[in-house]
Amino acid sequence: MQLQFVDLAFLIPILPFLAFAAIVLFTRRNHKLSAQLAIGAIAVAMALSYGVFFEALARGASLGKEPFHYTPLVWYDYGNAKFSMGWLIDPLAAVMLFMVTTVCLMIFIYSAGYMREKIADERGHSVEIDDPRYSRFFAYISLFTAAMLTLVMSSNLLQFFAAWEVMGFCSYALIGFWSFRGAREHHIDDAQVGRARAAALKAFLTTRVGDVLFMSGMIFLFIATGDLDFKTIFTPDKLNLLATAQPFPLAGVPWVTLIALLILAGTIGKSAQFPLHIWLPDAMEGPTPVSALIHAATMVAAGVYLIARTYPIFVKASEIGGPAMQAVAIVGAFTALFAATMGLAQDDIKRVLAYSTISQLGYMIAALGIGAFVAGSFHLVTHAFFKALLFLGAGSVIHAVGTNNMMLMGGLRKKLPITSLTFMIGALALMGIPPFAGFWSKDEILGDALRQGLAGKPESTLPLIVWGLLISAAFLTALYTARQIFLSFFGQPRDEHVYEHAHESPPVMWFPLVVLAIFATLIGLWNAPFFNGFFNFVGAGGIFGVEREFERGVFDQLALVSALISVGAALAGIFIGWLLYGWHPLRAGQRDPLARLGFFWTLFRNKYYADELYGYSIYADGSGRAGAFIRFVVGLASFAFTFDRRIIDGLVNLGGAIGRGFARLGNFFDHYIVDGLIGAIADVTGETAGGLRLVQSGKVQGYLLLALLGATIFALIYIAKSLT
Amino acid sequence: MPPIPISFYLILAAALFCIGLYGALARRNAVAILMGIELMLNAVNINLVAFWRYISGDPAKNQTGIVFALIVITLAAAEAAIGLALIIAVYRSRDTVNVEDVDLLKW
Amino acid sequence: MLTAITFLPVIGAIIILFLPNNRAIKTFAIAWSLIPLIISIVVWVVLPTYPGGYFIYNGCGSAIANASANFHLNECASWIPAINVNYHLGADGISIPLIFLTTLLTTVGLYYSARVINERVREFFFLFLLLETGMLGVFVALDFFLFYIFWEVGLVPMYFLIGIFGHEEDRPQYSAIKFFLYTLAGSVFMLLSIIAIYLNSNPQSFDMTLAMQPGAHPFVNQFINNFSYATLAFIGFFLAFSIKVPLWPFHTWLPDAHTAAPTAGSVVLAGVLLKLGTYGYVRILMSVFPDVFRAAAGIIGTLAVISIVYGALVAMAQTDFKRLIAYSSVNHMGYVILGLAAAAALTPADYKNQNLVNSASTAVNGAVLEMFVHGIITGALFFLVGMLYERTHTRDLKVFGGLGAKVPVYAALLLLASFASLGLPALAGFVAEFLVLRGAYATLTTMSFFAVIGIVLTAAYFLWKVIQRVLLGTLNPTWINLPDLHGYEIITLVPLAILMILIGIYPQWIISTINDASVAILKMIGG
Repeated sequence: MQLQFVDLAFLIPILPFLAFAAIVLFTRRNHKLSAQLAIGAIAVAMALSYGVFFEALARGASLGKEPFHYTPLVWYDYGNAKFSMGWLIDPLAAVMLFMVTTVCLMIFIYSAGYMREKIADERGHSVEIDDPRYSRFFAYISLFTAAMLTLVMSSNLLQFFAAWEVMGFCSYALIGFWSFRGAREHHIDDAQVGRARAAALKAFLTTRVGDVLFMSGMIFLFIATGDLDFKTIFTPDKLNLLATAQPFPLAGVPWVTLIALLILAGTIGKSAQFPLHIWLPDAMEGPTPVSALIHAATMVAAGVYLIARTYPIFVKASEIGGPAMQAVAIVGAFTALFAATMGLAQDDIKRVLAYSTISQLGYMIAALGIGAFVAGSFHLVTHAFFKALLFLGAGSVIHAVGTNNMMLMGGLRKKLPITSLTFMIGALALMGIPPFAGFWSKDEILGDALRQGLAGKPESTLPLIVWGLLISAAFLTALYTARQIFLSFFGQPRDEHVYEHAHESPPVMWFPLVVLAIFATLIGLWNAPFFNGFFNFVGAGGIFGVEREFERGVFDQLALVSALISVGAALAGIFIGWLLYGWHPLRAGQRDPLARLGFFWTLFRNKYYADELYGYSIYADGSGRAGAFIRFVVGLASFAFTFDRRIIDGLVNLGGAIGRGFARLGNFFDHYIVDGLIGAIADVTGETAGGLRLVQSGKVQGYLLLALLGATIFALIYIAKSLT
Repeated sequence: MPPIPISFYLILAAALFCIGLYGALARRNAVAILMGIELMLNAVNINLVAFWRYISGDPAKNQTGIVFALIVITLAAAEAAIGLALIIAVYRSRDTVNVEDVDLLKW
Repeated sequence: MLTAITFLPVIGAIIILFLPNNRAIKTFAIAWSLIPLIISIVVWVVLPTYPGGYFIYNGCGSAIANASANFHLNECASWIPAINVNYHLGADGISIPLIFLTTLLTTVGLYYSARVINERVREFFFLFLLLETGMLGVFVALDFFLFYIFWEVGLVPMYFLIGIFGHEEDRPQYSAIKFFLYTLAGSVFMLLSIIAIYLNSNPQSFDMTLAMQPGAHPFVNQFINNFSYATLAFIGFFLAFSIKVPLWPFHTWLPDAHTAAPTAGSVVLAGVLLKLGTYGYVRILMSVFPDVFRAAAGIIGTLAVISIVYGALVAMAQTDFKRLIAYSSVNHMGYVILGLAAAAALTPADYKNQNLVNSASTAVNGAVLEMFVHGIITGALFFLVGMLYERTHTRDLKVFGGLGAKVPVYAALLLLASFASLGLPALAGFVAEFLVLRGAYATLTTMSFFAVIGIVLTAAYFLWKVIQRVLLGTLNPTWINLPDLHGYEIITLVPLAILMILIGIYPQWIISTINDASVAILKMIGG
């Protein structure tokens, strides 16, 4: 048999991992070499991925039911069974490999330029130097990429989870990339250090809450089916078993529903859905390429990918009437709107994008929730391209002007022509304006929702609500994106100093922008209704474990109406944005026009006070304040400590004290009673002996005399006796 | 000639014993004390032999008396040897043979 | 072979008494400790070539030989024939990794101590090697009498290590006495239970393998339908082991002892001594008293979950670095006990369900692996605390900050150990925790769910208290001249770090060994 690319697919994650190891162990002192190593590894991985992708594409839709599946590595024994690791490539995974490696390569290249800082040398000249932790940055993003690729290709849920958590660690390390400062770090200040370390902690712990629930769900799945391999568990028998059997303490809830909800919890944490969305905006403290890579294109999308991967469980749960799919749809749709409102009220160029990411992830999840598997996963792919583009563009702006605050920008279009152009392409894709990528995927979701909502069946209410929420979110998306563009690139400079400073980024940074802009423009056409390429590949053949067929997108009246509504909503958003921010550009110190919303503005700006309730607020000066729930936990901890010291250890010491008390009592008794008696005997003996000892003079003749005396006495007695 | 009565021997032995006793008790010189002890032992020997010869019936058959006397003589020799060695040792360490001065073994 | 491993250290300790100077003592002790380490690796490697029940020497008769089928490399000789005490050693997949752990930690501990201990060197190295013999003996003894002796032998050197080499401000005498008396109080109960087993076995014997035989169970034989006697004996062992583990609420000696002990002492205390307790759980509570353990599984599991959550909470409230790591041990040992309780909870009917048996054996595998990886990880963490203390002479978490920028190698290793401890996948801690939870969820579902909360709390205290307080933030100017790790410190930590990563990425090499033993144990108690 001929060697295929899929046979070598295991190399795809291993290459970036080797780059990570090599950088950490050998080349960390050589910045340039480290960057080259990382970029080289991901480039080769990309080439391999493309090979795999095209092989999969050649196999066509039948791959959906019969994916490439290899499990060569026994990972551990348990009882008489074995647990194996390997890789599984179905159409969705192939597309993900294509998307992830492409985006990663672009971001890696971009980072090589971004992680250099301008500082003034001693003569006041501006010089560019590498970040002191330049190599480490590439090590972390290489590790991250390795984990993400492992996740995409994993053949079982445990491997998936492991990669998922390693990504969480990389996310932690990279959000907190600037969370410590020694003598060499000139470009960051203490406030930023404080913010970064709090944000990293917040991100890790918040997602961890979702992760442990996900892990519980995974373990339940393991227990119920006896395995975690996707091919093994997503068979009709196992799924039916899941649907009928019930977990021990929760009578009435079948396994499948419980597991689906717990997996959803994992997604909620990782994809920053309500109520665990609080970490993602703060995660923007990390370097911008990280935000683009981890917090827009890949890691947060992994949450969506998780649901797509375990889709058979969700489908089964909805088939038996469990609320799993509905929960997915509601969480996604609600978050889409909820995050969009908060995105309106941000001044930080990256935070707007962060809320936008949360909102767009909500779209995908809602799509999966209403059964629009293909549309949801297509949006996952297109979103990765245009959101990475937007973040990198924002990074380019930040690199140029040295601030994240849009209120200090304005008119940058002239200074940053390439950046602003590509950013606007990304923005149009995000807003859903044809023919850019976002339009096709987003419209497909909205179209599916509307089609289901108007089907007139009893279960149509939910898709209709979802559609309503999503279309409102689409309007808000356009509005906040327009606000962002008008504030940053149009109008007059609001801070002359910042404006003077600005300059276009070097080619190493704008080149990825251009490549991603091309993707953001064209990738959507892949699944345009007249072409349906993505559907034919991912959806047409179905997916293994799901018996349902996916409906091909049809280009009928309803689709047209839906498209018109969504484009209309987007245009309305842009128009209002122009009205508020473009027509009369904001001047320095002027109030934000949206502040007229009053109460709502306050609510949006304060993120609905979620941080104060159960999160952790991070302030600009680097300080922070724990929310009520966290304060409760910390209070519980100090109570437990006091309890430990005073009560438990107190009891131990009390035991010791009682022991000592008995010992003292014993000592008293021993000393005065037992020892007293012995002492008395000894004393009597001693006194007697004291008297008698005088007899012993040491003089031999004295003793002899005494002996004679004694003998005489005995003799006399004898004589006296014999006389009588 | 009538045989010498036993009382002669006994009186001699008693006198010898008393001289020895006096020497052992009254002399300060350790050598003299030793000589006194020898006298006493020899007095006992005379007694033993005298009683053996006069009282024990057939002297040829019953030899207890002379055996005892021989043991005492051996003992006396050993005693004299050890005693003299002790005295020399005491003399070497304390430069005296005066028993009044040798009284370490007391309370 | 096991005799050699066990007694070589004590021979070395005696030789140390006659060596002329500190330099010679240090070199000799390190070199000598390598021998048991190498033998333990050899034993691990050759183990599969010796069948179960293989006797290198058997002077104890066929009954014991038949009963020892689960143990490899047995050595048995009659020791005190009057009361049927045998010198019976043997190892299985559960003790082999622990023997390796003991010898490894002893070697790295001695290596590190050679640099930092400069007073009373002879005593230190003597006691340390003596301690090694005690610990190894417990892991290989298959005779209750022998087990008890080794158990106590391990106690005394540790008492002196804490008492003599502790830092004055940590009240070493108080801690040492607390440790000693607490443990001794437990082992007295164990002694009573051992005597109870002896008196009720027929023929009267101290042999563990005989006591483990189903049907030949001393209490079942002697007291049919009278469980209370077996329960009492169980409680005796339970107290001894739970104090050693330590299981909540018997844990308060641990933070004091750890804090006061010298670095290498803490490493061995956390790394190995605690495992004596959990090892006792597997070897005796589970194998000899399966019925009682089954009845008590709920209670013990609850205590384990309390240990997990409570240990994490208390660790979160600490301001002393070392004390925090000490409480993290309470937290982690809870997982071990939870796994064992879950496996023990299987009813005879459950043994007919292969899925549940697999779950139980996963739980045992996880528990034993957790013992091993906790030794590695917490050992590394205690080394790291000690290294920081050597430099700064403080362990107060409030005074550090920003060290990540100053001491990158230290930071990298602390990061690695912390994340391994909090259960990051691809590092050792996760594999063990996952297996425990995977096994425990099958039988003790509700408890496991609460244990999962502990995972979040563990992450919280490690990241918040350790990483954030020590490594992150702006560098405190006090530590501007802090040197990074020296070569010898890196050499100390590297074997541990490699194991953390190796087990995390590919655990099969160790789990396959453990699995053989856990399957055998479950088969024995499940019939």
